[in-house]
Amino acid sequence: MIRLIVLKRTRPLKYGRLTTVALALAAGILLYTLILAVIGVNPLLTFSIISASFISSGVVKDFIVLTVLGYALLVAFKGSLWNIGAEGQFYMGAVPVIYLTTIVFFTTGSVSIIQSVLVIAGSIILAILFGGLWGAIAGAIKAYAGVDEVPVTLILNYVAYYLVNILILGPFQGKYVYGYKRTDLIPEAYQLSIRVQLAPTGNPVIDGLLSYVRELIIFGWWVLALAMVVTAVWWFFNKTSLGLKVKVLGSNPDYLVTAGWDVRKVTIATFAISGGIVGLMSALYLLGYLLRLEYPIESQTAGYGYLAILVAWLSLLDIALVPVSAYIISSLTNAGISQSSAPEVKQALAQAGFAGAELSFRWIMIGSILLTYSVLRFLSDYEVRVIRE
Amino acid sequence: MSGLESVLGVVEEIAAAFITFYLVALGHSIFEKAGLLDLAIDGIFFMSTGAAVLGAVVFGTPIAGSLIAALVASLFGLLMAYLLTALPISHGAVGLSLQFLGYGLGIVLGYPVRQQVGALYAFCYSEEALFEMVGLALLLGVLTYYLIEKTKLGAAIRASGENPHAASALGVNVLATRLVAAAIGFAIIGFGASFFPLLWQKYWDLKVYTLGYGWLAFTIALAAGRHPIFLIPMAFLFGGLVEYSVTIQSLLKLPADVAKLIPFIGALGAMLAYSFTRLGRIFASPQSLGKIYYKEEKTL
Amino acid sequence: MGSQQIELILKDVTKTFPGGVVALQDVSMKLGGGEFVALLGENGAGKSTLMKILYGIYTPDKGSIILNDEVLSIRKPSDAIRKGIVMVSQSPQLIDKLTVAENLTLGLENVKPLGGFSTASKMIKEYSLKVGVKIKPEDKVWSLTYTQKQLVEIVRALMLGAKILILDEALTYLPIEERKKFYVFLQEFKRNGGAVVVITHKIPEALEVADRIVVLRRGRVSGELTRDEASLEKVRELMFAEAAKEITYEKLPGSVKGEKPVIKAKDLWVQGDFGVHAVKGVSIEVKEGEVAGIAGVVGNGQRELLEALIGLRRVDKGRITIDGLDVTNKGVGQVRKMGVGFIPDLPLRFGVSQDNNIMENIAVLFHRERFVIDWVEIQELTRDIIKTFKILTPSEFYPVKILSGGNLMKVVVGRELNYSRRALVAYNPTRALDEITAVQVRRIIKAKAKNERIAVLFASEDLDEVYQLSDTIYVMNSGKIHGPFDPETTLKEEIEKLMVM
Repeated sequence: MIRLIVLKRTRPLKYGRLTTVALALAAGILLYTLILAVIGVNPLLTFSIISASFISSGVVKDFIVLTVLGYALLVAFKGSLWNIGAEGQFYMGAVPVIYLTTIVFFTTGSVSIIQSVLVIAGSIILAILFGGLWGAIAGAIKAYAGVDEVPVTLILNYVAYYLVNILILGPFQGKYVYGYKRTDLIPEAYQLSIRVQLAPTGNPVIDGLLSYVRELIIFGWWVLALAMVVTAVWWFFNKTSLGLKVKVLGSNPDYLVTAGWDVRKVTIATFAISGGIVGLMSALYLLGYLLRLEYPIESQTAGYGYLAILVAWLSLLDIALVPVSAYIISSLTNAGISQSSAPEVKQALAQAGFAGAELSFRWIMIGSILLTYSVLRFLSDYEVRVIRE
Repeated sequence: MSGLESVLGVVEEIAAAFITFYLVALGHSIFEKAGLLDLAIDGIFFMSTGAAVLGAVVFGTPIAGSLIAALVASLFGLLMAYLLTALPISHGAVGLSLQFLGYGLGIVLGYPVRQQVGALYAFCYSEEALFEMVGLALLLGVLTYYLIEKTKLGAAIRASGENPHAASALGVNVLATRLVAAAIGFAIIGFGASFFPLLWQKYWDLKVYTLGYGWLAFTIALAAGRHPIFLIPMAFLFGGLVEYSVTIQSLLKLPADVAKLIPFIGALGAMLAYSFTRLGRIFASPQSLGKIYYKEEKTL
Repeated sequence: MGSQQIELILKDVTKTFPGGVVALQDVSMKLGGGEFVALLGENGAGKSTLMKILYGIYTPDKGSIILNDEVLSIRKPSDAIRKGIVMVSQSPQLIDKLTVAENLTLGLENVKPLGGFSTASKMIKEYSLKVGVKIKPEDKVWSLTYTQKQLVEIVRALMLGAKILILDEALTYLPIEERKKFYVFLQEFKRNGGAVVVITHKIPEALEVADRIVVLRRGRVSGELTRDEASLEKVRELMFAEAAKEITYEKLPGSVKGEKPVIKAKDLWVQGDFGVHAVKGVSIEVKEGEVAGIAGVVGNGQRELLEALIGLRRVDKGRITIDGLDVTNKGVGQVRKMGVGFIPDLPLRFGVSQDNNIMENIAVLFHRERFVIDWVEIQELTRDIIKTFKILTPSEFYPVKILSGGNLMKVVVGRELNYSRRALVAYNPTRALDEITAVQVRRIIKAKAKNERIAVLFASEDLDEVYQLSDTIYVMNSGKIHGPFDPETTLKEEIEKLMVM
């Protein structure tokens, strides 16, 4: 009789965590490729598109967004608080931005620099507050009602979607949109993207590099914010007393209590900070890229809130690894997008009956990466031994 | 007379919504009573709807759809129960992963077929079937109640959920018990979810995965203490909330999407009411729900 | 019943735990049908470990178990149960939310999965009558008293066909009246050929009911006495092995107590984990510069008392004041703010955060005012503590989980000792520490009491330690406190008597 038993390791596996991440990614990509192959897409094509996307400039935008959101979730996850509500916090953060830029201070002409700066700054600050508040609500419910934060944050996502929808069809309805169900475009005066034109040189390598640089410049304000977020998060966890409490909360809440701290207050504060960072990204995203909100919002979402979960998990909650993880995930996501626009793929998908649903395969990829990671993760702290009897 | 008629009328209108929510919450409750946290519910819900559409169209009859959905869901339940009991891994993480997988698989299963046929009417349950199904749902509920409360297996399921270590010391095979609970529970979830496209909406498309009805069922189960009989009024309440929010919205001339908002606000309210009132104590969750089950030495 | 006389032999059983602790060394013991054996010894003597090996919870490094000439291979409890060996411990392993009948049915192999609870119901009614403790099969376990729960456990053992019954402190915490009922019933069990091993620290009772007494001391068999031979004197001698009344540890110089009480508790009633009151009307005062030690066998309420004093456990009745300020039920933060250190029971679970490093573990306790942490200050403090306690660690930046158990303890103790400005509350302050560090810790405690005038209240299962460290000795037994006693004038035997009565 052969038995397999699970035992705790006396010494953690050296590169266990990194191996788990690598295997998880491999599993996700493989499953994704497999399912597409079954539908009729050549796996080699899939692989080449995935590899190509790692160096395509389209990744830059998602990379920045996912890094910032990754840090937002990192803050919560380090406290073992599963903030799955980034989507909701994102759109609640968008509310004051749209309000200030398209309702209160809407303009079709030009405005003074001071007004621009004030409106932009005001939008960003309010976005952080709204996102933080939305997070704090989830934190309070968890802290005082003891309800698991996962269903709470998810339900709050739905509430946020519908609230924002109501606003879009209501007071936020655009006046210059010819009846379409959207808000007005954010006036140029308040937009945060940097225009730049770079002439092509004809050399593909340099051109590739230049398009990268171009993207980075367009989203220059985002890059700046990203740098600030990284610094802030690093400072929070390494220099502040609250940051330390969050770490201890995540490792052993019992000790936090013994040391005389109120776990509930720390929980709410953590969620608030997490939501606040999401709010920040939301403001930047709107002011620098999206420029308006369209109804219904749940179909507009790129699912950043959920992809960020992957980013945070796969970064092993290490501040230095978040950008790496974000880069990988944004490459994979972009692979999915460019895949569905490649003509051979489009044809195969259409033949298999998936015309219109191409983007949905990302759920399978996300799900399988997460599943493999969640399952294999135990191997870094436990080992499996074979016993013969 | 007309009072009774209108009551019956209300019941009839809510019936389809009720069946869906009730059965999904019922199956979910069985699973969780065994101590397994089910954060995959929304994904399993959607996946089952896709499987139901596939089954109904391929075999030409709605009951095939319901059975296929039950089968597919059941397989996922078995997988989850095995992973979470045999290995020391996080219930929440596995649940969330399967939620996402469920979204993807639901699309893969249901989308091509649906695009082919366009309208689902021909493959749906008939009007008469509605009352049969209500009866079936209630019967399943009563049987579940009997199983959980009056049999040794039910006691084993509850024991595994309260304290799997003590249960094991008392002689329960926790793994086997949880596998059974998962198979039955998720089968009922799949079965119930199949009624969404095939009985209630008589429609299905991609967007269904954004509805979040799985989370409503989650809340129903939570607030009603996962009790097969108390789930009935709770599921009825939420079914009514979902069905009538459109009516409320138009009556009160409220903006669009308020209707969609109401059930979720209701869900939050139910959660808070549950936590802050005696309800929480009477309907307490199983003590070991979501706890990683690790013994010093375990056989896989 | 019992056509064949049972004979169980434990031979040369040896067990060492990771970390080098030798729990049992070549222990041999016999048990026959119709016999009632009491297994006695101090805490840590190895009694529980020996029985857990017999029951399959631990595997011995060496030694064998022989039942009626058959060498047994017991790897898990179900193996033991199959051979008729069943253990009942002091904490009932029952499911609270289920009924008695349901709990018991779970173990009945001949009831089918879809079967009901009638078989178990009948059995419970039978035994309930026999023993004289009222239980209804449809009662939910959470509503039962501790006595009733223990009865259910014993019924369960009998239902499983136990021929050899191991009671690991199973009856120790029952009220005396109920205990008597169980003994009567156990006599009948004996007469029917069954064998009983009882682990208890109630020595006088053991003398009354046991046919034979086996005493363990520091992992070895110290001696065996038959019922006729046994007396309280002889047993205590075998247990504590002090022919003379020498004090084995040097007594540390005491200090002059101040007048003001720092820690003051009045008429405290605190609930334990099982819903029964673990602390029953305890009043105690510890003054500035005083080291007060609570002696007692584990499980008599000391832990709950200390947890209540630091604010971790709810006080149902009574008041606690620190330096005159009422802190009853005001939370741990309030007490900590006043400069009270705390060494908890299970320090590795409640006293340290394993994924954080030493500096962080210290900082989260010490750093209470400002928002930004002064790591330079904390690092100095950390280095200080590491040096003083000779904590072996590659650096203060590594997560604490890589440290050995002993070193982890040093982190907790070092941190808490350093933090105590006004008082220190400690449970087993030197458990898991090596002898040298233990003595060092005791010296530091004494010095702080003398020089910094802190008040120290500690509970220890090691009577020698209590004697060495305390200016005042108390004894806790069954939730009540006895004392104060002066270690200079009170004999150890008197304290021991109070501990085991």
